[in-house]
Amino acid sequence: MEATFLLTLLITFLASFIGYELISKIPQTLHTPLMSGSNAISGITLIAAILIYPEVGESQLLKIIVLIAIAFATLNIVGGFSVTGRILEMFKKND
Amino acid sequence: MIEIILLVSSVLFIFALKLFGRPSTAHRANTFAMLAMALAVFSAFNFGFSKYDSAFYITIVVSGLLGVLISKRVQMTQMPELVGLFNGFGGGASGAIAYVELSGSSLPISDVFVAIFSMVIGMFTFSGSLVAVMKLRGKLNNFSKKLADIFSVFLPTIIVIPAVLEMDDLLIEFIILVALVAGIIRVAVIGGADMPVVIAFLNSLSGIAAMSAGFIVNSIILIVAGALVGASGIILTLLMCAAMNRTLLDVLKGGFGGTAINNEYDKDPIITSPEDVAIQLSYAESVVIVPGYGMAVAQAQAAVKELTNTLKNKNIEVKFAIHPVAGRMPGHMNVLLAEVDIDYEDMFTLEDINSEFSSTDVVIVLGANDVVNPLARTDEDSPIYGMPILDVDLAKQVIVIKRSMSPGYAGIANPLFVNDNAKMLFADAKEGLENIIKSFELV
Repeated sequence: MEATFLLTLLITFLASFIGYELISKIPQTLHTPLMSGSNAISGITLIAAILIYPEVGESQLLKIIVLIAIAFATLNIVGGFSVTGRILEMFKKND
Repeated sequence: MIEIILLVSSVLFIFALKLFGRPSTAHRANTFAMLAMALAVFSAFNFGFSKYDSAFYITIVVSGLLGVLISKRVQMTQMPELVGLFNGFGGGASGAIAYVELSGSSLPISDVFVAIFSMVIGMFTFSGSLVAVMKLRGKLNNFSKKLADIFSVFLPTIIVIPAVLEMDDLLIEFIILVALVAGIIRVAVIGGADMPVVIAFLNSLSGIAAMSAGFIVNSIILIVAGALVGASGIILTLLMCAAMNRTLLDVLKGGFGGTAINNEYDKDPIITSPEDVAIQLSYAESVVIVPGYGMAVAQAQAAVKELTNTLKNKNIEVKFAIHPVAGRMPGHMNVLLAEVDIDYEDMFTLEDINSEFSSTDVVIVLGANDVVNPLARTDEDSPIYGMPILDVDLAKQVIVIKRSMSPGYAGIANPLFVNDNAKMLFADAKEGLENIIKSFELV
């Protein structure tokens, strides 16, 4: 259990490091689509909602709260990627 | 099988970030990221699609459709509001999940702390973002700074209470309440022109909330993606702070600007007319346009494009100088210009263009103020002293298109306006440009 946790921490560290390196190189001109794109990616918390939804049990209140989380996360993923695509398309045609 | 899907998904996310590094390849980055996301979400089901009821699927479909609808309808000038709203949704979703985990199952004690952390960050991001959106829409006045100070003293105390006391349900709800109120108050005291920092910071928090939710449900891909968003937001936050020569703490403390500190001028500005500007421009060889929030407010992008075309047809070189904090979010100006088909090769950052101003014939300052204020270089007592600015005052001629002599966000006079090489064209950005374009037809 200890080893798994440490491995997870290592992965977290490496991911943050790669992310920091790559994102630092993104030019100012793309900072708005970078933000809307990361909005979409932060919707990945949908995974957590999917994992816990079958396990909330009898409580209707908790079920509704998970459904709200699902709605928020899905909105983020779909809306975020869609609007980012729209913006990046504007940069593409100048090429 | 699931592990392989997740591995592919992680690799795709990293490739997507790599491709995002250049405007020409960035649209492919979006496709890669979408694919990575689809794989990650698919893997979470672990082929157990029948475990989910219709309420679940209906929620996904309806909110997905709503997402498409919003993204198609939103105007580019509203991007700061949209990103703000999505920051809030991301934080809210992670916070809600942490709440369910805290109140539903019996978590191991180490996870309880992570869950409380995720819930607090998530709820803070949720309410703070909603306030940011309202501020961006101009629907809120500044709350009193005092109230915010009281709450920032309270907040850390409340976070450590669960470590001391035995947890019960009401305590969790109490923490949620405090996190929500703290988010509201913290963002409410921060002024409009600091929004690029606030939006980037909340963006980062939404990633951190997702990352900690990943620790609770043991999902590595969630941790990785959350960490990427967190890193991205932090980078942008620090860039924005550096561009204002202020620390993040200083920005979050709020209360900056808003009131005029000093708006006295020792001489009168030279006032010009659209006709004069048109004549001056037609004799220029190089023109640099400095857009600011005023361009977005006046929706002047199309007029900018038209003027650019007019000038380029006369073989005049046109460049755009974009300050990192121009507008209400990072990259705001670039997107507005890209929308009207202005080539991103013509958009320059502060570092790239500052050395060129001394050899530029005409600079047009369009709805920008503090980012071109030379006091940042010269006046040590000025609140903006040390902030990197666009050195437009070094150009041969500066045309400032602005509605009045009123100070910018920092509340200080801008001596550029009364410089010998500067002329004021009193007009709203769009109307001013359109009049110049009309005058060109007569020249």
